[in-house]
Amino acid sequence: MTWQSFFDFSTMSHRHLIFVYAGIWLIQGAYLGWIAWNWSHTKGSRH
Amino acid sequence: MTYLRHVLDHLRKDLRLEWRSRDSINGMLFFALLVVVVFGLAFDPTSYPTITRQISGAILWVALLFASITALNQSWTREQSNNVLEAQRMAPSPASALFLGKALANLLFVLTVEAVLAPIFIVFFNLHALGNVWLLTLILPLGTWALVVNGTFFAALGLRARNRELLLPLLLLPVSLPALLAMVQATTGVLTAELDPIQIGTWIKQLAGYDIIFTTICILLFETVLNAE
Amino acid sequence: MEQRTPTLRSVAWLWFGITIAVLVVGFRQAIFLVPTEATMGNVQRIFYYHLPHAVLGLIFPYVNFIASLAYLFWRRRDPLKALTADALAVAAAEVTVLFVGIGLLSGMLWAKPAWGIWWAWDARLTTYLLLWLLYVSYLLLRRYSPSGQTGTFGAVLSVFAAIDVPIVYMSIQWWRTQHPAPVFGPNGGGIDPSFVPAVLWNMAGWAMWGVLILLFRFALERRRQLAEQEAALVAIEASLEIPQ
Repeated sequence: MTWQSFFDFSTMSHRHLIFVYAGIWLIQGAYLGWIAWNWSHTKGSRH
Repeated sequence: MTYLRHVLDHLRKDLRLEWRSRDSINGMLFFALLVVVVFGLAFDPTSYPTITRQISGAILWVALLFASITALNQSWTREQSNNVLEAQRMAPSPASALFLGKALANLLFVLTVEAVLAPIFIVFFNLHALGNVWLLTLILPLGTWALVVNGTFFAALGLRARNRELLLPLLLLPVSLPALLAMVQATTGVLTAELDPIQIGTWIKQLAGYDIIFTTICILLFETVLNAE
Repeated sequence: MEQRTPTLRSVAWLWFGITIAVLVVGFRQAIFLVPTEATMGNVQRIFYYHLPHAVLGLIFPYVNFIASLAYLFWRRRDPLKALTADALAVAAAEVTVLFVGIGLLSGMLWAKPAWGIWWAWDARLTTYLLLWLLYVSYLLLRRYSPSGQTGTFGAVLSVFAAIDVPIVYMSIQWWRTQHPAPVFGPNGGGIDPSFVPAVLWNMAGWAMWGVLILLFRFALERRRQLAEQEAALVAIEASLEIPQ
Protein backbone atom coordinates (compact mmCIF):
# COMPACT_ATOMS: atom_id res chain seq x y z
CA MET A 1 0.00 0.00 0.00
CA THR A 2 1.03 3.61 -0.39
CA TRP A 3 -0.09 6.73 1.43
CA GLN A 4 -2.43 7.53 -1.45
CA SER A 5 -4.11 4.17 -1.47
CA PHE A 6 -4.37 4.29 2.33
CA PHE A 7 -6.50 7.40 2.29
CA ASP A 8 -8.99 5.91 -0.16
CA PHE A 9 -12.56 6.39 1.04
CA SER A 10 -14.34 4.73 -1.88
CA THR A 11 -15.18 1.24 -0.62
CA MET A 12 -16.44 0.08 2.76
CA SER A 13 -13.32 -2.04 3.22
CA HIS A 14 -11.06 0.97 2.88
CA ARG A 15 -13.25 3.18 5.01
CA HIS A 16 -13.31 0.61 7.78
CA LEU A 17 -9.53 0.25 7.63
CA ILE A 18 -9.13 3.97 8.18
CA PHE A 19 -11.82 4.08 10.86
CA VAL A 20 -10.05 1.36 12.81
CA TYR A 21 -6.56 2.84 12.61
CA ALA A 22 -7.59 6.43 13.16
CA GLY A 23 -10.19 5.47 15.73
CA ILE A 24 -7.78 3.43 17.80
CA TRP A 25 -5.18 6.18 17.83
CA LEU A 26 -7.87 8.68 18.80
CA ILE A 27 -9.37 6.62 21.59
CA GLN A 28 -6.04 5.62 23.09
CA GLY A 29 -4.72 9.13 22.77
CA ALA A 30 -7.86 10.53 24.37
CA TYR A 31 -7.52 8.19 27.33
CA LEU A 32 -3.87 9.11 27.77
CA GLY A 33 -4.80 12.76 27.52
CA TRP A 34 -7.55 12.34 30.10
CA ILE A 35 -5.08 10.76 32.53
CA ALA A 36 -2.56 13.52 31.89
CA TRP A 37 -5.19 16.24 32.34
CA ASN A 38 -6.28 14.74 35.66
CA TRP A 39 -2.66 14.36 36.69
CA SER A 40 -2.04 18.06 36.23
CA HIS A 41 -5.23 18.86 38.13
CA THR A 42 -4.38 16.74 41.17
CA LYS A 43 -2.29 18.33 43.83
CA GLY A 44 1.14 16.77 44.14
CA SER A 45 2.32 15.17 47.32
CA ARG A 46 4.02 17.39 49.89
CA HIS A 47 6.62 14.71 50.55
CA MET B 1 -28.97 -26.85 63.27
CA THR B 2 -28.90 -23.34 64.71
CA TYR B 3 -27.78 -22.08 61.32
CA LEU B 4 -30.85 -23.60 59.73
CA ARG B 5 -32.99 -22.09 62.46
CA HIS B 6 -31.52 -18.65 61.76
CA VAL B 7 -32.23 -19.06 58.05
CA LEU B 8 -35.82 -20.09 58.77
CA ASP B 9 -36.26 -17.14 61.14
CA HIS B 10 -35.09 -14.72 58.47
CA LEU B 11 -37.31 -16.45 55.93
CA ARG B 12 -40.36 -16.23 58.16
CA LYS B 13 -39.65 -12.56 58.85
CA ASP B 14 -39.50 -11.72 55.15
CA LEU B 15 -42.59 -13.73 54.33
CA ARG B 16 -44.53 -12.06 57.10
CA LEU B 17 -43.45 -8.58 56.07
CA GLU B 18 -44.34 -9.25 52.48
CA TRP B 19 -47.69 -10.73 53.39
CA ARG B 20 -48.64 -7.53 55.20
CA SER B 21 -48.13 -5.22 52.26
CA ARG B 22 -47.96 -7.61 49.31
CA ASP B 23 -46.57 -4.89 47.05
CA SER B 24 -43.66 -6.96 45.77
CA ILE B 25 -45.83 -9.81 44.60
CA ASN B 26 -48.47 -7.53 43.18
CA GLY B 27 -45.86 -5.54 41.30
CA MET B 28 -44.29 -8.69 39.88
CA LEU B 29 -47.60 -10.20 38.86
CA PHE B 30 -48.75 -7.10 37.13
CA PHE B 31 -45.47 -6.63 35.31
CA ALA B 32 -45.38 -10.23 34.11
CA LEU B 33 -48.97 -10.05 32.96
CA LEU B 34 -48.18 -6.90 31.04
CA VAL B 35 -45.27 -8.59 29.30
CA VAL B 36 -47.46 -11.53 28.29
CA VAL B 37 -50.10 -9.23 26.84
CA VAL B 38 -47.60 -7.07 24.96
CA PHE B 39 -45.86 -10.08 23.44
CA GLY B 40 -49.22 -11.58 22.63
CA LEU B 41 -50.17 -8.47 20.71
CA ALA B 42 -46.80 -8.28 19.00
CA PHE B 43 -46.54 -11.86 17.81
CA ASP B 44 -50.11 -13.11 17.52
CA PRO B 45 -49.20 -16.43 19.09
CA THR B 46 -52.46 -18.22 18.48
CA SER B 47 -52.03 -18.15 14.72
CA TYR B 48 -48.49 -19.51 14.70
CA PRO B 49 -48.33 -22.40 17.17
CA THR B 50 -44.92 -23.70 16.09
CA ILE B 51 -43.18 -20.35 16.39
CA THR B 52 -45.01 -19.67 19.62
CA ARG B 53 -43.66 -22.85 21.16
CA GLN B 54 -40.16 -21.91 20.04
CA ILE B 55 -40.18 -18.46 21.60
CA SER B 56 -42.41 -19.00 24.64
CA GLY B 57 -39.55 -20.23 26.75
CA ALA B 58 -37.53 -17.11 26.08
CA ILE B 59 -40.52 -14.80 26.66
CA LEU B 60 -41.34 -16.50 29.93
CA TRP B 61 -37.84 -16.13 31.29
CA VAL B 62 -37.41 -12.57 30.09
CA ALA B 63 -40.69 -11.66 31.76
CA LEU B 64 -39.61 -13.35 34.99
CA LEU B 65 -36.17 -11.76 34.87
CA PHE B 66 -37.49 -8.24 34.60
CA ALA B 67 -40.31 -8.86 37.04
CA SER B 68 -37.94 -10.20 39.66
CA ILE B 69 -35.57 -7.28 39.21
CA THR B 70 -38.35 -4.92 40.28
CA ALA B 71 -38.95 -6.99 43.40
CA LEU B 72 -35.32 -7.68 44.31
CA ASN B 73 -34.49 -4.03 44.77
CA GLN B 74 -37.38 -3.71 47.21
CA SER B 75 -36.39 -6.74 49.22
CA TRP B 76 -33.48 -4.95 50.82
CA THR B 77 -35.17 -1.60 51.36
CA ARG B 78 -37.14 -3.36 54.08
CA GLU B 79 -33.89 -3.58 56.00
CA GLN B 80 -33.12 0.07 55.69
CA SER B 81 -35.99 1.59 57.64
CA ASN B 82 -35.43 1.95 61.39
CA ASN B 83 -31.73 1.07 60.99
CA VAL B 84 -32.61 -2.59 60.86
CA LEU B 85 -29.47 -3.31 58.85
CA GLU B 86 -27.26 -2.10 61.68
CA ALA B 87 -29.11 -4.41 64.03
CA GLN B 88 -28.57 -7.29 61.58
CA ARG B 89 -24.84 -6.56 61.52
CA MET B 90 -24.65 -6.72 65.29
CA ALA B 91 -26.72 -9.86 65.57
CA PRO B 92 -24.75 -13.00 66.46
CA SER B 93 -26.24 -15.03 63.64
CA PRO B 94 -23.95 -15.38 60.61
CA ALA B 95 -24.54 -12.84 57.85
CA SER B 96 -25.04 -15.58 55.29
CA ALA B 97 -28.10 -16.77 57.21
CA LEU B 98 -29.69 -13.37 56.59
CA PHE B 99 -28.77 -13.66 52.93
CA LEU B 100 -30.12 -17.20 52.55
CA GLY B 101 -33.34 -16.38 54.35
CA LYS B 102 -33.95 -13.41 52.11
CA ALA B 103 -33.00 -15.29 48.95
CA LEU B 104 -35.36 -18.13 49.87
CA ALA B 105 -38.15 -15.64 50.52
CA ASN B 106 -37.54 -14.05 47.12
CA LEU B 107 -37.53 -17.52 45.58
CA LEU B 108 -40.94 -18.24 47.05
CA PHE B 109 -42.30 -14.93 45.78
CA VAL B 110 -41.08 -15.50 42.24
CA LEU B 111 -42.31 -19.11 42.26
CA THR B 112 -45.73 -17.82 43.30
CA VAL B 113 -45.68 -15.44 40.37
CA GLU B 114 -44.70 -18.31 38.07
CA ALA B 115 -47.52 -20.44 39.38
CA VAL B 116 -49.97 -17.68 38.48
CA LEU B 117 -48.24 -16.89 35.20
CA ALA B 118 -48.16 -20.43 33.83
CA PRO B 119 -51.92 -20.83 33.26
CA ILE B 120 -52.05 -17.29 31.84
CA PHE B 121 -49.34 -18.23 29.38
CA ILE B 122 -51.11 -21.40 28.42
CA VAL B 123 -54.35 -19.57 27.85
CA PHE B 124 -53.13 -16.46 26.05
CA PHE B 125 -50.54 -18.27 23.94
CA ASN B 126 -52.58 -21.40 23.32
CA LEU B 127 -49.55 -23.25 24.52
CA HIS B 128 -49.48 -26.99 24.20
CA ALA B 129 -46.22 -28.49 25.37
CA LEU B 130 -45.00 -31.33 23.20
CA GLY B 131 -42.38 -32.70 25.57
CA ASN B 132 -42.44 -33.96 29.12
CA VAL B 133 -44.12 -31.16 31.10
CA TRP B 134 -43.02 -32.58 34.45
CA LEU B 135 -39.47 -31.58 33.62
CA LEU B 136 -40.63 -28.01 33.92
CA THR B 137 -41.23 -28.54 37.62
CA LEU B 138 -37.48 -29.14 37.83
CA ILE B 139 -36.36 -26.43 35.41
CA LEU B 140 -38.46 -23.60 36.80
CA PRO B 141 -37.25 -23.72 40.42
CA LEU B 142 -33.61 -24.25 39.40
CA GLY B 143 -33.74 -21.37 36.95
CA THR B 144 -35.56 -19.11 39.38
CA TRP B 145 -33.02 -19.83 42.09
CA ALA B 146 -30.19 -18.89 39.72
CA LEU B 147 -31.79 -15.49 39.13
CA VAL B 148 -32.83 -14.94 42.72
CA VAL B 149 -29.58 -15.87 44.44
CA ASN B 150 -27.46 -13.53 42.34
CA GLY B 151 -30.19 -10.90 42.31
CA THR B 152 -30.46 -10.80 46.10
CA PHE B 153 -26.69 -10.52 46.38
CA PHE B 154 -26.35 -7.71 43.87
CA ALA B 155 -29.35 -5.89 45.32
CA ALA B 156 -27.46 -5.86 48.62
CA LEU B 157 -24.38 -4.46 46.86
CA GLY B 158 -26.34 -1.54 45.49
CA LEU B 159 -28.20 -0.84 48.71
CA ARG B 160 -26.71 2.54 49.48
CA ALA B 161 -25.57 3.31 45.99
CA ARG B 162 -26.93 6.33 44.22
CA ASN B 163 -28.38 4.76 41.12
CA ARG B 164 -29.57 1.61 42.79
CA GLU B 165 -32.25 0.73 40.22
CA LEU B 166 -29.77 0.93 37.38
CA LEU B 167 -27.10 -1.08 39.09
CA LEU B 168 -29.03 -4.28 39.69
CA PRO B 169 -29.92 -5.16 36.08
CA LEU B 170 -26.50 -4.00 34.94
CA LEU B 171 -24.78 -6.40 37.30
CA LEU B 172 -27.30 -9.22 37.16
CA LEU B 173 -27.66 -9.70 33.42
CA PRO B 174 -24.06 -10.45 32.46
CA VAL B 175 -23.50 -12.70 35.45
CA SER B 176 -26.73 -14.65 34.86
CA LEU B 177 -26.07 -15.25 31.19
CA PRO B 178 -25.00 -18.91 31.42
CA ALA B 179 -27.98 -19.70 33.62
CA LEU B 180 -30.36 -17.83 31.30
CA LEU B 181 -29.03 -19.75 28.34
CA ALA B 182 -29.53 -23.06 30.13
CA MET B 183 -33.01 -22.32 31.42
CA VAL B 184 -34.29 -20.93 28.14
CA GLN B 185 -32.84 -23.80 26.13
CA ALA B 186 -34.22 -26.38 28.56
CA THR B 187 -37.68 -24.80 28.65
CA THR B 188 -37.83 -24.46 24.89
CA GLY B 189 -36.58 -28.02 24.54
CA VAL B 190 -39.43 -29.27 26.69
CA LEU B 191 -42.06 -27.16 24.95
CA THR B 192 -41.02 -27.99 21.40
CA ALA B 193 -39.72 -31.51 22.04
CA GLU B 194 -36.91 -30.71 19.59
CA LEU B 195 -34.26 -31.73 22.09
CA ASP B 196 -33.97 -35.31 23.24
CA PRO B 197 -34.10 -36.02 27.00
CA ILE B 198 -30.33 -36.38 27.25
CA GLN B 199 -29.74 -32.88 25.94
CA ILE B 200 -32.40 -31.42 28.19
CA GLY B 201 -30.81 -33.36 31.02
CA THR B 202 -27.45 -31.77 30.26
CA TRP B 203 -28.96 -28.29 30.33
CA ILE B 204 -30.59 -29.06 33.66
CA LYS B 205 -27.29 -30.33 35.00
CA GLN B 206 -25.56 -27.15 33.83
CA LEU B 207 -28.24 -25.10 35.55
CA ALA B 208 -27.83 -27.07 38.76
CA GLY B 209 -24.05 -26.68 38.57
CA TYR B 210 -24.41 -22.92 38.10
CA ASP B 211 -26.78 -22.78 41.08
CA ILE B 212 -24.35 -24.63 43.32
CA ILE B 213 -21.33 -22.56 42.29
CA PHE B 214 -22.97 -19.19 42.66
CA THR B 215 -24.86 -20.02 45.84
CA THR B 216 -21.53 -20.96 47.38
CA ILE B 217 -19.85 -17.78 46.21
CA CYS B 218 -22.70 -15.59 47.44
CA ILE B 219 -22.75 -17.24 50.85
CA LEU B 220 -18.99 -16.88 51.21
CA LEU B 221 -18.85 -13.28 50.09
CA PHE B 222 -21.96 -11.91 51.79
CA GLU B 223 -20.20 -11.36 55.09
CA THR B 224 -17.71 -9.11 53.27
CA VAL B 225 -20.48 -7.10 51.66
CA LEU B 226 -22.51 -6.63 54.81
CA ASN B 227 -19.52 -5.44 56.80
CA ALA B 228 -17.99 -3.43 54.00
CA GLU B 229 -17.08 -0.40 56.04
CA MET C 1 10.59 9.04 47.53
CA GLU C 2 12.47 12.30 46.89
CA GLN C 3 15.27 10.44 45.11
CA ARG C 4 12.97 8.06 43.28
CA THR C 5 10.69 10.55 41.54
CA PRO C 6 13.06 12.15 39.00
CA THR C 7 14.44 8.72 38.00
CA LEU C 8 10.92 7.36 37.72
CA ARG C 9 9.93 10.28 35.53
CA SER C 10 12.88 9.75 33.18
CA VAL C 11 12.11 6.06 32.90
CA ALA C 12 8.46 6.86 32.17
CA TRP C 13 9.35 9.33 29.42
CA LEU C 14 11.86 6.88 27.97
CA TRP C 15 9.28 4.11 27.95
CA PHE C 16 6.81 6.45 26.28
CA GLY C 17 9.33 7.35 23.61
CA ILE C 18 10.21 3.74 22.87
CA THR C 19 6.53 2.77 22.79
CA ILE C 20 5.75 5.43 20.22
CA ALA C 21 8.76 4.35 18.16
CA VAL C 22 7.68 0.70 18.23
CA LEU C 23 4.12 1.65 17.32
CA VAL C 24 5.33 3.73 14.39
CA VAL C 25 7.42 0.82 13.13
CA GLY C 26 4.41 -1.43 13.63
CA PHE C 27 2.19 0.93 11.66
CA ARG C 28 4.70 1.04 8.84
CA GLN C 29 4.94 -2.74 8.80
CA ALA C 30 1.20 -3.22 8.88
CA ILE C 31 0.27 -0.73 6.20
CA PHE C 32 3.21 -0.49 3.83
CA LEU C 33 5.54 -3.44 4.12
CA VAL C 34 3.50 -6.55 4.73
CA PRO C 35 1.91 -8.04 1.58
CA THR C 36 -1.83 -7.77 0.97
CA GLU C 37 -3.83 -10.79 1.95
CA ALA C 38 -5.15 -12.84 -0.95
CA THR C 39 -8.83 -13.32 -0.11
CA MET C 40 -9.72 -10.30 2.02
CA GLY C 41 -7.59 -7.61 0.51
CA ASN C 42 -6.37 -4.58 2.37
CA VAL C 43 -9.09 -4.67 5.00
CA GLN C 44 -7.23 -7.58 6.55
CA ARG C 45 -4.67 -5.07 7.81
CA ILE C 46 -7.15 -4.25 10.55
CA PHE C 47 -6.06 -7.57 12.04
CA TYR C 48 -2.68 -6.12 13.03
CA TYR C 49 -4.38 -3.65 15.35
CA HIS C 50 -7.29 -5.87 16.30
CA LEU C 51 -5.23 -8.81 17.53
CA PRO C 52 -3.06 -6.99 20.11
CA HIS C 53 -6.08 -5.25 21.58
CA ALA C 54 -8.09 -8.45 21.74
CA VAL C 55 -5.30 -10.42 23.38
CA LEU C 56 -4.32 -7.69 25.85
CA GLY C 57 -7.99 -7.28 26.71
CA LEU C 58 -7.85 -10.78 28.15
CA ILE C 59 -4.75 -10.13 30.24
CA PHE C 60 -5.70 -6.93 32.06
CA PRO C 61 -8.79 -8.48 33.72
CA TYR C 62 -6.42 -10.88 35.47
CA VAL C 63 -4.40 -7.95 36.76
CA ASN C 64 -7.64 -6.55 38.15
CA PHE C 65 -8.59 -9.91 39.66
CA ILE C 66 -5.25 -10.37 41.40
CA ALA C 67 -5.27 -6.79 42.66
CA SER C 68 -8.83 -7.29 43.97
CA LEU C 69 -7.82 -10.44 45.83
CA ALA C 70 -4.84 -8.59 47.27
CA TYR C 71 -7.20 -5.81 48.36
CA LEU C 72 -9.53 -8.23 50.13
CA PHE C 73 -6.55 -9.91 51.80
CA TRP C 74 -4.95 -6.70 53.05
CA ARG C 75 -8.18 -4.86 53.86
CA ARG C 76 -8.03 -5.61 57.58
CA ARG C 77 -4.36 -6.49 57.87
CA ASP C 78 -2.56 -3.56 56.24
CA PRO C 79 -4.89 -0.81 54.99
CA LEU C 80 -2.15 1.12 53.20
CA LYS C 81 -1.16 -1.86 51.08
CA ALA C 82 -4.87 -2.48 50.46
CA LEU C 83 -5.22 1.06 49.15
CA THR C 84 -2.40 0.50 46.67
CA ALA C 85 -3.97 -2.76 45.53
CA ASP C 86 -7.26 -0.97 45.04
CA ALA C 87 -5.59 1.71 42.91
CA LEU C 88 -4.11 -1.00 40.69
CA ALA C 89 -7.49 -2.76 40.47
CA VAL C 90 -9.34 0.30 39.23
CA ALA C 91 -6.56 1.17 36.78
CA ALA C 92 -6.59 -2.37 35.37
CA ALA C 93 -10.39 -2.29 35.08
CA GLU C 94 -10.38 0.94 33.08
CA VAL C 95 -7.66 -0.33 30.78
CA THR C 96 -9.62 -3.57 30.34
CA VAL C 97 -12.74 -1.69 29.26
CA LEU C 98 -10.60 0.33 26.87
CA PHE C 99 -8.82 -2.60 25.23
CA VAL C 100 -11.80 -4.94 25.13
CA GLY C 101 -13.98 -2.18 23.75
CA ILE C 102 -11.47 -1.41 21.02
CA GLY C 103 -11.16 -5.15 20.33
CA LEU C 104 -14.92 -5.42 19.88
CA LEU C 105 -15.21 -2.34 17.68
CA SER C 106 -12.26 -3.19 15.45
CA GLY C 107 -13.50 -6.77 15.17
CA MET C 108 -16.94 -5.61 14.06
CA LEU C 109 -15.51 -3.11 11.59
CA TRP C 110 -13.34 -5.88 10.15
CA ALA C 111 -16.06 -8.51 10.08
CA LYS C 112 -18.57 -6.55 8.04
CA PRO C 113 -16.48 -6.09 4.88
CA ALA C 114 -14.63 -9.38 5.30
CA TRP C 115 -17.45 -11.81 6.12
CA GLY C 116 -20.60 -9.75 5.61
CA ILE C 117 -21.87 -9.80 9.18
CA TRP C 118 -21.30 -7.37 12.04
CA TRP C 119 -21.64 -9.95 14.78
CA ALA C 120 -22.20 -13.61 15.62
CA TRP C 121 -23.30 -15.11 18.90
CA ASP C 122 -20.59 -17.72 19.17
CA ALA C 123 -18.73 -18.59 22.37
CA ARG C 124 -15.72 -16.39 21.84
CA LEU C 125 -17.53 -13.21 20.86
CA THR C 126 -20.32 -13.54 23.40
CA THR C 127 -17.82 -14.08 26.18
CA TYR C 128 -15.86 -11.08 25.00
CA LEU C 129 -18.94 -8.85 24.99
CA LEU C 130 -19.83 -10.15 28.41
CA LEU C 131 -16.36 -9.35 29.71
CA TRP C 132 -16.81 -5.79 28.52
CA LEU C 133 -20.27 -5.50 30.12
CA LEU C 134 -19.01 -6.92 33.41
CA TYR C 135 -16.16 -4.44 33.63
CA VAL C 136 -18.33 -1.51 32.63
CA SER C 137 -20.68 -2.49 35.44
CA TYR C 138 -17.63 -2.81 37.72
CA LEU C 139 -16.70 0.79 37.01
CA LEU C 140 -20.28 1.95 37.48
CA LEU C 141 -20.60 0.05 40.73
CA ARG C 142 -17.48 1.77 41.98
CA ARG C 143 -18.73 5.14 40.92
CA TYR C 144 -22.15 4.73 42.53
CA SER C 145 -21.02 3.07 45.73
CA PRO C 146 -20.78 5.10 48.90
CA SER C 147 -17.18 6.07 49.51
CA GLY C 148 -15.33 3.70 51.78
CA GLN C 149 -17.09 0.74 50.25
CA THR C 150 -15.98 1.14 46.65
CA GLY C 151 -12.93 -1.04 47.06
CA THR C 152 -14.76 -3.88 48.75
CA PHE C 153 -17.72 -3.91 46.40
CA GLY C 154 -15.44 -3.71 43.39
CA ALA C 155 -13.35 -6.60 44.67
CA VAL C 156 -16.43 -8.73 45.25
CA LEU C 157 -17.69 -8.05 41.74
CA SER C 158 -14.24 -8.83 40.38
CA VAL C 159 -14.46 -12.29 41.95
CA PHE C 160 -17.86 -12.82 40.32
CA ALA C 161 -16.52 -11.73 36.96
CA ALA C 162 -13.47 -13.99 37.20
CA ILE C 163 -15.70 -17.00 37.85
CA ASP C 164 -18.44 -16.07 35.42
CA VAL C 165 -16.40 -15.45 32.29
CA PRO C 166 -15.00 -18.98 31.92
CA ILE C 167 -18.43 -20.46 32.70
CA VAL C 168 -20.03 -18.34 30.00
CA TYR C 169 -17.41 -19.43 27.51
CA MET C 170 -17.84 -23.11 28.30
CA SER C 171 -21.62 -23.06 28.30
CA ILE C 172 -21.91 -21.27 24.97
CA GLN C 173 -19.14 -23.41 23.48
CA TRP C 174 -21.07 -26.50 24.46
CA TRP C 175 -24.28 -25.02 23.10
CA ARG C 176 -22.70 -24.14 19.79
CA THR C 177 -21.33 -27.60 19.23
CA GLN C 178 -24.95 -28.72 19.37
CA HIS C 179 -26.11 -26.03 16.94
CA PRO C 180 -23.29 -24.99 14.62
CA ALA C 181 -23.21 -21.30 14.00
CA PRO C 182 -21.34 -19.20 11.43
CA VAL C 183 -17.71 -19.51 12.40
CA PHE C 184 -15.51 -16.68 11.41
CA GLY C 185 -12.32 -15.07 12.49
CA PRO C 186 -8.67 -15.87 11.99
CA ASN C 187 -8.78 -19.53 12.81
CA GLY C 188 -7.46 -22.67 11.20
CA GLY C 189 -3.76 -22.85 10.48
CA GLY C 190 -1.18 -20.36 11.52
CA ILE C 191 -0.27 -16.99 10.17
CA ASP C 192 1.67 -16.76 6.95
CA PRO C 193 5.31 -15.97 7.81
CA SER C 194 5.30 -12.83 5.69
CA PHE C 195 2.70 -11.35 8.03
CA VAL C 196 4.63 -12.12 11.18
CA PRO C 197 6.71 -8.89 11.43
CA ALA C 198 3.58 -6.74 11.45
CA VAL C 199 1.95 -8.94 14.07
CA LEU C 200 5.00 -8.93 16.33
CA TRP C 201 5.79 -5.22 16.10
CA ASN C 202 2.21 -4.23 16.77
CA MET C 203 1.80 -6.75 19.56
CA ALA C 204 4.95 -5.42 21.22
CA GLY C 205 3.96 -1.82 20.64
CA TRP C 206 0.44 -2.11 22.03
CA ALA C 207 1.61 -4.22 24.96
CA MET C 208 4.08 -1.49 25.85
CA TRP C 209 1.34 1.09 25.43
CA GLY C 210 -0.95 -0.95 27.66
CA VAL C 211 1.67 -1.13 30.39
CA LEU C 212 2.29 2.60 30.00
CA ILE C 213 -1.33 3.65 30.46
CA LEU C 214 -1.91 1.07 33.19
CA LEU C 215 0.97 2.40 35.26
CA PHE C 216 0.15 6.01 34.45
CA ARG C 217 -3.46 5.49 35.55
CA PHE C 218 -2.21 3.67 38.65
CA ALA C 219 0.09 6.57 39.45
CA LEU C 220 -2.78 9.01 38.97
CA GLU C 221 -4.96 7.01 41.35
CA ARG C 222 -2.18 6.89 43.94
CA ARG C 223 -1.67 10.63 43.55
CA ARG C 224 -5.39 11.16 44.19
CA GLN C 225 -5.36 8.86 47.19
CA LEU C 226 -2.35 10.63 48.69
CA ALA C 227 -3.91 14.04 48.04
CA GLU C 228 -7.07 12.85 49.82
CA GLN C 229 -5.07 11.56 52.76
CA GLU C 230 -3.21 14.84 53.07
CA ALA C 231 -6.41 16.83 52.84
CA ALA C 232 -7.84 14.70 55.62
CA LEU C 233 -4.70 15.21 57.69
CA VAL C 234 -4.84 18.97 57.18
CA ALA C 235 -8.48 18.99 58.23
CA ILE C 236 -7.68 17.05 61.39
CA GLU C 237 -4.74 19.32 62.24
CA ALA C 238 -6.91 22.37 61.68
CA SER C 239 -9.60 21.04 63.97
CA LEU C 240 -6.98 20.46 66.68
CA GLU C 241 -5.82 24.04 66.50
CA ILE C 242 -9.17 25.54 67.38
CA PRO C 243 -8.47 28.05 70.11
CA GLN C 244 -9.91 27.11 73.50
